[in-house]
Parts: sequence; structure tokens; C-alpha cells
Amino acid sequence: MKGNRLQVAALAVALLVPALGGQCLAAGKVHKLGLSLAITGPTSDAGNPYAKGVEDYFRLVNDTEMLGEDTIDCMIRDDQYNNDITKRNFEDFLAEDIIFYLNYSTGSTLALKKDFEEERIAVMPASFHAGNTADTNYVFLPIASYSTQLVGLGEYVAANHNEGVAKVALFIHPSAFGRGPVEDLQKAIKAGLKLDIVEVVEHGKDLDNTAMLKRLMSKGTQYVLTHTVQSPVATMLKDASGLGLTAKSFGEAGKLTFLGCHYTGGNDLVALAGDAAENFHWVTSYIVTNEPGPGATAQLQLAARYGRDDKAANSHNYANGMMVAQVVTELIKRAKAGGGEVTREAMHRELLAMNGDRSFSPGTTVGPVTFSTTDKAGVDTLQLYVVKDGLFHSSGLPFTPVYTDKIK
Amino acid sequence: MSYFLQLVVSGVVVGSIYALSALGFVLIYKSSRVLNIAHGQIIASGAFITYSLTVWMGIPLVLSFALGLCVTFFLAMSVERIFLRRLIGEPIISVIMVTIGLMSILDGIIYLTPFGTENFSFPPFLPTTPLVFAGVSVSWTQLVGVALTAAMIGGLSMFFRRSTMGIAMRAVADDQMASMSIGISIPKVFGLAWALAGMSAAAAGALIGNITGLNFDTLHAFGITVFPVVILGGLDSILGAVVAGIIMGLIQQFAAGYLDGNWGLSSTGEIMPYLILLVILLFKPHGLFGIHEIERV
Repeated sequence: MKGNRLQVAALAVALLVPALGGQCLAAGKVHKLGLSLAITGPTSDAGNPYAKGVEDYFRLVNDTEMLGEDTIDCMIRDDQYNNDITKRNFEDFLAEDIIFYLNYSTGSTLALKKDFEEERIAVMPASFHAGNTADTNYVFLPIASYSTQLVGLGEYVAANHNEGVAKVALFIHPSAFGRGPVEDLQKAIKAGLKLDIVEVVEHGKDLDNTAMLKRLMSKGTQYVLTHTVQSPVATMLKDASGLGLTAKSFGEAGKLTFLGCHYTGGNDLVALAGDAAENFHWVTSYIVTNEPGPGATAQLQLAARYGRDDKAANSHNYANGMMVAQVVTELIKRAKAGGGEVTREAMHRELLAMNGDRSFSPGTTVGPVTFSTTDKAGVDTLQLYVVKDGLFHSSGLPFTPVYTDKIK
Repeated sequence: MSYFLQLVVSGVVVGSIYALSALGFVLIYKSSRVLNIAHGQIIASGAFITYSLTVWMGIPLVLSFALGLCVTFFLAMSVERIFLRRLIGEPIISVIMVTIGLMSILDGIIYLTPFGTENFSFPPFLPTTPLVFAGVSVSWTQLVGVALTAAMIGGLSMFFRRSTMGIAMRAVADDQMASMSIGISIPKVFGLAWALAGMSAAAAGALIGNITGLNFDTLHAFGITVFPVVILGGLDSILGAVVAGIIMGLIQQFAAGYLDGNWGLSSTGEIMPYLILLVILLFKPHGLFGIHEIERV
């Protein structure tokens, strides 16, 4: 009797062990990622929807088993736009053995560049500062750099201005983020772009821009290219509108036409500036949700699935976060399909191979994502949007600035 | 000439808003000798309360503005009651340190709300076409801002001159021990000073929010932006806040109008107030209207 019991137990163990073992093998791997960004503090109006976009897309990946049995564990931490906290977060993520890192600000990306290089980890920041990619093999911009955006706006002005050389003023953020692309626009002008920069204005927390606007008018300025955040642009637009200085159509003589790079535009600008935002020209590589398309549908469905409000759902920074999550997921898929381990090296290798037939179209951008050893910006094309009746609408087709290559 | 006049008008308008923002600093310092480092957070809170009442509760803006002032009045009074009342008689530096802690607490609370991370804007309630006179334009929001500042400062000046409580507050500012000896309640005076400071901060917040939009970083930064105004005017002088506010506003506009864009200069409006402040303080260390206390030993 006792012998029988032992035999039964041995049989049960013999049957259960492989079954449990098989289940453990089938449970898949957890791919660890880190994201440090400003969910609170300065620029959190952009960081907050960005974090939501990243978080929601990775939840979708796990919930719909997009990677089969594998899952993604993306640790998201607030750094309050403080480089010291970013560094601490990054070190904590390294201790967790992350395979890819998502960073945020220009300052922290520049400050941690050496660390990324030492750790040999691929990084994608939310900052599109061209300098992020200089002297490193590991930092990749999701879309065209601020320099490309500003040069693109400059080219658009030069191409559509009617008489003589267009006089432009630059209205920029008083920081490395704001100053970054100015030199490249100046280089483009030296290389033949027909523009005259009459003044570079680094704004403060101004309650009234009358003096600045009148001064620009007295110098014959017709276009103001902005590269900053939305709030100061909105205040300037309201002041210009109040003074009757805003052009009703592009390049209207005797008036100012306002244009801006990625972080100046979006729905928040319209909400802040109201009617004064009409005819504001904005350039980015992301789609907008008020124009129907598969990317817009996917973005709105994702936000709805995870209970986001309309503001977040329609934010271009939600699309921004969603897009980087899409790229990272695609890299993991490709690394897995390659048959090897999904490691930091594999992620970096797949990123560099994302070009030609292996380029990636996330749908949330106006062009494909391509990277290589010489191309560190994902989406190279830009779309110009213009505010009409309180919404950003596409103007023309996506374009790639020609002077970006000329000034390299 | 119209350009010069435009700068003057813009300077006075901006200066008035600075004066209103600085008033809260002065009211608290005047009565308790405490510098409230969390003043910017109270400015922001006032703006957000007014916005919530207007947009989320559907109360007309004028009414919600008045309600916002009342709510912030009691909120600031509660802050004094909870955090600062126990520190009466303690070294001033301890109280100032508490206001630094208070700043962090208020930051944390606001970050828990949508206001901490999102941009909002008040619904338009005034005509968007500015008033133009002799080539000088001024927006309705700015005009209302000047009128509101004048009304609040005038009202508070009257309060300090005519009312018993106002005179009691001045007495406390002058000498706490002597005030107590004639039966003035110091805690009551401190509570009221905080409450009035909260109310003026709410008014400033709502005004700034109407001009720049509601962005927490922009709003709470005004607590620091108006610091030169407070120092220049004299920490304990309401008149000083007004005069210094307007001086700062004019300096900023003239610097932006005449210096920026010339000789390679840019953003001088940001620096000039501090430069002028330094020069004036060399000759008037207590500010333009600050009281120079002489102690006999």
C-alpha cells in the first residue's frame, strides 16, 4: 500500500514538473525600459500628456499581447525638469537592467550624454535639439530636430514671400533649448536661404509685449518665427492682435505673420490665445487628431481605451509619447524576430537598421521613421499646419527642408 | 511720440499688476516682519480658484472673481492659523523657513490637480478690441487691471488709516509688545494680514491669468518676479509697492523699447529692474519708502 502511494506520488511529480516547467518557459520575458521626464514642474504641460502616451501604448502592448508572451515594463518617473533627479532616475533604471531609455529635456540629455555612451544604451529624448546627437552614437531624436524645424519654417517663408528678402524676427526661449537652432538658421542664410534676421528676442515672463512688437514693426519685420513653449507665444499673439498687427493671411504687408516650431503649437496654444491664434503657422512631424486618418483614429482609440480626457487624447504630445513607445515596441519585435536575446546591443543594432525596407511607419507621424549611423533623427519630414477657425489644419504636403543637408 | 506714450501706458499697466502682486508681501511683512516665500503659490491658487468657479461651476466671471477673493481670504487665514500661529514670538527666520516649507506643500497640492500640469484660459469676458487714443492702445483686460489695482490699494490704504483694525495692524507692525499691552490681539492681526494678503494675491493671480493664460509655472514665478518691486518700494510700504511697481513696469518697457535690439542687446527688460534696484539700494538701503528704524540703546 505504502509502495503504491509512493509510485502515485512519483508519477504525479513526473507529470507536473515538465508541465510547470513548460508553463514557466511559455510565460515569456519582461523587457525593462525607463522614462524620466517632467510630469510636474516646468514644461510639465508637455511632459504630462507625453507620459500618458508612453504609458498607454505599453499597456496596450501588454494587454493585447502584441509581443506574444513577452511583456514590457516601462518605469516612468517624474524628474521635475531637474537634471540631478534625471540622473538619479537613470541610475536607478540601470540598476533594474533596462534595455532602452527614454529621456526628456535638452539639458539632461546633454548632461547625461557621456553616461549613455559609457552604458552603451540607446536613448530617445523628447527634446529634438540637434546637439543631442553630436559626438554620441546612442542618442536618437524621434523626429526632425528643432534646427530642421526652424530652417523648414525659414524656407517656407522665403519661398512664399512676395517682395524682396523677407525680414524675420526670432522669438525664442531663454535657454539652450531656445538658442539651439538659431545658429543653424543663420548658417542656412549664409548658405543662400533668402531671409534677413532683424532680431533674436529671448523672451521673459512678459505681461505686455507692446514695446517688442512695435520695435519689430519699426524694423520692417514681417514674420516672427517662434521656438519656445506655448504660454509666452499666446501672450504675444494676444498683444499683437490687440494692436492690430496680426496678418490675416500669410505675408500680409504691414502686418506680422507668426510661425512656430513643435512645442509652440498644438491645441493648448489655441486655448490660451483664443481668436488671436488664427493664422498661426506651425510645423511638426506629428499628425493632428482633427484631421481624420488611421494615425488619428489609433491615437483617439488608445486614449479612450485607457480613459484619458479629450485634452490629453487630442494633444500632439500624447502622440509624441505614443510614437516613441511604438518605435521601442517595434525594436523589441524586430530583435525577437532576429532570434537572439533582446538586449541593449540588439536594440541599438535594430535602431541603426531602421531604414530603407526596414523603415517604420507608426501612423502618428507624417512620414516614416528612419535611423542609421548617419541619420539620428527619426521622422525627417515636416508638416505645416495653419490655425483656421480654432483648429490646426494641414497646409500643403509634408516636406523635407533642403538647407538642413547643406549646412551639415 | 506715440511710441514713447505707448511705452509709458504699457509700463504703468504692467507696473500696476506688479504693485498688486507685491501687495501681499507688504501686508504680511508690515504686520509680522515675515517674508512670505510662498506668495507666488498663493497668487496661483487664487487664479485657479477663480477659474474653477467660473468654468467648472458655471458662475459668471465677475461673481466668481469676488467669490475667489473670499475663498482665498479664508484659505490664507487658515494657512496662518494652522502653520504660523504657533510660531508667534519665535525667531523670524524660523517663520520664514516655515513659509519655504509651505511653498513646497502648496506646490505638491497643486501638482495633484490638473492645474499643476496643464494650461487653462479664462473664457473671454471683455471686448478684444483695444481702446486706442492718440495712437496709444490699451486692452480692456489691462484697463480693468489698473482699475482693480487702484481700487484694492485705495481700499486697503483707507482701511489702514481709518478703521480700528487697520490702525491696530499698524500698531502691531510698529511694536508688538506695546500693542499687546493696550489689548490688541496679535494672533487676530496676523490672521487678518495673511487673509488680506491672500485676497490681493488672488486678485493679482486672476489678472495675470487673464493676460498670460493659467500656467502654474508662470503664475507662481510672479512671487519672485515682484521681489525687486517689494525691496525697491520698501518692504513695509503700500505706497512704496505702488510707486516701485510702476517704476519697474516703466523700466521694463523702456528697456524693451529702446535698448533691446540695439547694440546687440536683448532681454534687457529682465535685467534692468535688478540693476536699478542695486543702484537705488546703494543710496536708500531700506527702499524708497521703507522705514529706517533707529533703536536707542
